[in-house]
Amino acid sequence: MGRLFAIITSATVLLWADRAPADVAKVGLLADFTGAFATWGPQFREGVEAYQALHGKTVKGLDDKLHEIQFIYRDTASQGPDKARQLAQELVLHDHVRFLCGLDLSPHAMALADISKEAKVPVVIMNAATSSITRMSPYFVRVSQTVPQDVAPLGPWAAAHDIKRVYTIVSDYAPGYDAEAYFIKTFKAAGGTIVGSARTPQQETNFSAYMERVREAKPDALYMFQPAGSPSVAFVKAYVERGLKAAGIKLLGGGETQELFLPNFTDDIVGTVTSFHYTETNTRPANLELRAQVKKMFGDKAVPDIATLAAWDGTRLIQEAVAALGGDAEGLQYVDFMKGKKFDSPRGPVEIDPVERDIIQNVYIRRVEERDGRLVNIDIDEVKMVKDPWKIDHPPQAN
Amino acid sequence: MGSFGLTVLLDGISYGMILFLISVGLTVTMGLMRVVNLAHGAFAMIGGYVAGYLTQRGCNFYLAALAAAAAAAALGAVTERTIYRPLYRKGELAQVLLTIGFVFVATGAVTEIFGAFPYPVVFPPYLTRPLDIGFRQYPAYRLFLIASGAAIALLLWLVLDNSLYGARLRAAVDNPRMARAVGINVSLLFTSTFTVGCGLAGLGGALGAGILSLEPAYALKYVVLFLVVVIVGGEGSFEGSFVAAMALGIIDTLGKYFVAEAAPYLLYTAVFALLLWRPKGLVPPRSLA
Repeated sequence: MGRLFAIITSATVLLWADRAPADVAKVGLLADFTGAFATWGPQFREGVEAYQALHGKTVKGLDDKLHEIQFIYRDTASQGPDKARQLAQELVLHDHVRFLCGLDLSPHAMALADISKEAKVPVVIMNAATSSITRMSPYFVRVSQTVPQDVAPLGPWAAAHDIKRVYTIVSDYAPGYDAEAYFIKTFKAAGGTIVGSARTPQQETNFSAYMERVREAKPDALYMFQPAGSPSVAFVKAYVERGLKAAGIKLLGGGETQELFLPNFTDDIVGTVTSFHYTETNTRPANLELRAQVKKMFGDKAVPDIATLAAWDGTRLIQEAVAALGGDAEGLQYVDFMKGKKFDSPRGPVEIDPVERDIIQNVYIRRVEERDGRLVNIDIDEVKMVKDPWKIDHPPQAN
Repeated sequence: MGSFGLTVLLDGISYGMILFLISVGLTVTMGLMRVVNLAHGAFAMIGGYVAGYLTQRGCNFYLAALAAAAAAAALGAVTERTIYRPLYRKGELAQVLLTIGFVFVATGAVTEIFGAFPYPVVFPPYLTRPLDIGFRQYPAYRLFLIASGAAIALLLWLVLDNSLYGARLRAAVDNPRMARAVGINVSLLFTSTFTVGCGLAGLGGALGAGILSLEPAYALKYVVLFLVVVIVGGEGSFEGSFVAAMALGIIDTLGKYFVAEAAPYLLYTAVFALLLWRPKGLVPPRSLA
């Protein structure tokens, strides 16, 4: 009897919950919350929750109706593109989401190209950094970065700062090739010479032999592109141990020195110069707001990173689109609303490219320094409003 | 060129020493107890994390390394009695499944407690700087690895070749049934040896953290290398593990230096060639020779 009662009650509750008010716009966020890439999901979620806590999750539309933006999180569990595709289908067919977003890895984003076109659902990409992705579906909008965008400004900067000869070592995977190609291209164009290049296995942690070769080549600087984590930590360690730093060979890089990863390094990393689209120490109001909110909600140990801020900006774009167009607009109408949108992101001024639907943003040249006993990145230069250089090199083909 | 050759040799030997330290315990489990212990890397990882945890809180590095060995040994003793013992008579498939399961549990536990990022062991400052060794500056840490590895190898050799314990162990490896028949308590020998093997792995995990960096994937990532050392050396052969670890360390370093792009393949090609040449290992124990 008690059991029957329980069944009836829960069925009633389920029915009740399912009859959601008409003004709820659901957003499906796909990311890895478990497995090898488990750091991404929680960072995205913190960004979304921080934004909604500060700016509200209900927006008043031009139609004078209230719309609640409700995020549904799905774990792709580091299982790859098939899992992402399957979860996206469920979100579209079963949960009737109006938007999809998240997507830490490029293959996951690519796997959603067909679904987004068939279901006419806009996809706000919050990380996946392969340049070509936004060309794969007119429903894709990217608020994160591309690898060439972050790398390309570093070559000219190096050439202009007494660095004439560079040795490059990149990790042996697609983003590594992009970084290698764009660093070499822009550095040579600015008059620099590449004295040697190597590619290291993706999970390499024993770099001694590579460093010996660099030492013999005697370059002015060593350019690295290594996955953040064990490889980048081991790389910098070997660079110092082999006396390269002592020999005056400068270290150049990119995302390796993000705030999230700096505690893994010793002060060996001090002096490393990197180019990246977000510097944690920038004092723009939007950045201070984001950082204060994240620390308030998730504690002092929470570190907002590029995933947090892309989720923050992505949530903003989605909420503004719903406010402007209501909850029942066509997918492409939402995308059109986002095109050309300019706003102040915690990273600095950004714009959504009206043609490519990709982000245009400042790229910052930073140096790692020690401040109050902590390692931090400090901006030393910036290149304003960088458009993804790959897109410029590969103009869209006329159909 | 001479100085360069010496550098590559030092690099290869220091890398080989770490492989040897961690793998020597595995050669015992696989050679003596015939257990395919894929979880061996987990003991090294746990030792490393213990050392990392202690040194990050200001503990002396050498004490932390001893604590790492003790922790891994204690865990080894407990798991030998509870998890491994029932496996001895089961087939290899059961052993592989259970020990790989143990790896996943250890990986999950480490992620939960210490997080998914690499976890540093804090080495004393004088180990993290290059040292002048006459013809060049060379990382002091690598020299330390070579010295400590050589000391432990020497100690192992003395114990195994000159003590009653060593004689019993060699007897049990060569012919367990005969060893039992002459009254050797093989069961106790198993537990104690397994414990020491795990302790050495823990020590290796702690000392070697500067090359094989600690992260949750450690147990799975490096176990292939440890298995390769044991198989190439000859299951159950201590001398074999040593020779194989040195050979692989040097081949890997040479490969990275001269043919960087092909280095990952070169190592396994060398393993393939060595096994074709000596299918039972470089220095197989007498029972197999």
